[in-house]
Amino acid sequence: MTGSEAIPSRSPWLAMALGWLVPGLGHFYLGRKRLALAFAGIIAVTFFAGLSFQGRLYSIEPGQPLTILATFAVYGSGVLNLAARMLSENPGGAILATTYEYGCAYLLTAGLMNLLLVLDAWDIATGKKR
Amino acid sequence: MIALIPVDHFLIMTLYALLVSAFFALLWREDRRERWKLFGTLIASLVLGGLAVAWLMYPFPK
Repeated sequence: MTGSEAIPSRSPWLAMALGWLVPGLGHFYLGRKRLALAFAGIIAVTFFAGLSFQGRLYSIEPGQPLTILATFAVYGSGVLNLAARMLSENPGGAILATTYEYGCAYLLTAGLMNLLLVLDAWDIATGKKR
Repeated sequence: MIALIPVDHFLIMTLYALLVSAFFALLWREDRRERWKLFGTLIASLVLGGLAVAWLMYPFPK
């Protein structure tokens, strides 16, 4: 897969929205299908590893300003985060678990990686990146 | 499911390094050879850097 393929003009806003909603879907929409599948796999594995390590799906807490940033990062995972919140019995994670901190790091990283992909989809759709 | 969760810190750190390195190699490079080169550099830096920090922290367990 190279970035030099001719891509018909696509909406940058739609590419960003799809990319946020489902990791990799923005790149798939832009015609970079193999890359999209690779990104989707990496982000899904990172996210589900975070859940299995009993990390926390952050929510904003009064008096805890850093939770605003953490919540923003976790919401970057799009539908993965939303589904996990609805299906999880304990979205706050297991703070006493040995792997809790690792789980939090994995979940935050998955969201931040997807936010980078959203920006990358914008750059591709607007022609800033080949 | 719980039994499948690794609690080996080095294994968890290495898996993290693997995923992050693969992601940035695919995002930042387009040529296959360049991707492998960046992937190797990133994973080596993350794993060896983690081990180096661990050894530096060894005299200060708490």
